[in-house]
Amino acid sequence: MVVRVRVRNAETGATVDMELEMENTVEEIIEGVSAYWEKDPGAYVIRKGRRLLRGQQKVQELDIQTNEELELIPDPEGGTK
Amino acid sequence: MAEPIRPGERDDDRHDRTRLLSWVDMGRVQRAQVLVVGAGALGNEAVKDLILFGFRHVDVMDMDTVVRSNLSRCVLFREGDQSSGKGKASLVAERVRELDPTAEVNAFQGRIQSMGSEEMKGYDIMLGCLDNVAARLHLNANSYHAGVPYVDGGTNGFRGRVQAVVPPLTPCLQCGMNRSHFKVMERRFSCTGQDTVFYQPKMAAEITTTSVIAAVQVREAVKILSGRTAMEHVMHYDGLAGTTDILSLDIDPGCPNHSSPKLS
Repeated sequence: MVVRVRVRNAETGATVDMELEMENTVEEIIEGVSAYWEKDPGAYVIRKGRRLLRGQQKVQELDIQTNEELELIPDPEGGTK
Repeated sequence: MAEPIRPGERDDDRHDRTRLLSWVDMGRVQRAQVLVVGAGALGNEAVKDLILFGFRHVDVMDMDTVVRSNLSRCVLFREGDQSSGKGKASLVAERVRELDPTAEVNAFQGRIQSMGSEEMKGYDIMLGCLDNVAARLHLNANSYHAGVPYVDGGTNGFRGRVQAVVPPLTPCLQCGMNRSHFKVMERRFSCTGQDTVFYQPKMAAEITTTSVIAAVQVREAVKILSGRTAMEHVMHYDGLAGTTDILSLDIDPGCPNHSSPKLS
């Protein structure tokens, strides 16, 4: 089974549709959209509404509906330099 | 018979206005032993806020010295510090005592990796004001196993995040990390076969986001120490859009900090 979702780039507002298998993980979504948008190397997370998704979670665990929107957000790690 | 009062005496109390916040446990705040890890941009702001709020026992740890580009967002550093040879932690401790000479602020020059969970048990709360994943993971794991709440802050340009970790109730930092975080860490430590090279990329940073994130870290520390529920669980701040989102996170059943009772 395939579910189609929309992923939004929080930094630019751009969106891309993505077809996901139930076995796909959140990490694979992050890597897929990061490559598509040629994101700078860095840490990113995915949110679904008010929830942050864990990297190892599979699509089948996420209760994602077709055409639901996820958002890729940078996870800032600076603070000293 | 009660002590006599005198006109204007409340204005002589440094923390009178803070005491008007009924939920704040000022006694607990003033007794708390706090460790601030990182004395750069976030660390400067956090220590300043802690002392102004009324914290009296603060240890500051940092391995670094000042460079001139720090001066744009470090309220406690001064022109000339970059050539003083003094560590960031000792400068922060020295300068913040000007704000409250009765506060006990100690500086430790070194890496957080030199401190284990046993030593962390002496603290009531820790603030992470760091700039790399490896140090965060160490502080996260050891504070969790020490049972000490940990409030982490991070910035990049106009974006920032804060996570409050209260063991054993909440998810920890590692629960929210994924391969992209570990790739960042791998890029920073490259092994040449003879030595480990530490690569520290320059990240965009400015004072307004730094101030917001450090302030939220200190406020979460006050909430936790005062017995209030900390934010659940991660705050993401976008300064350009002017938005703040509190996002929930689940404990990762595969996270080593939750699945093992002790650090090996």
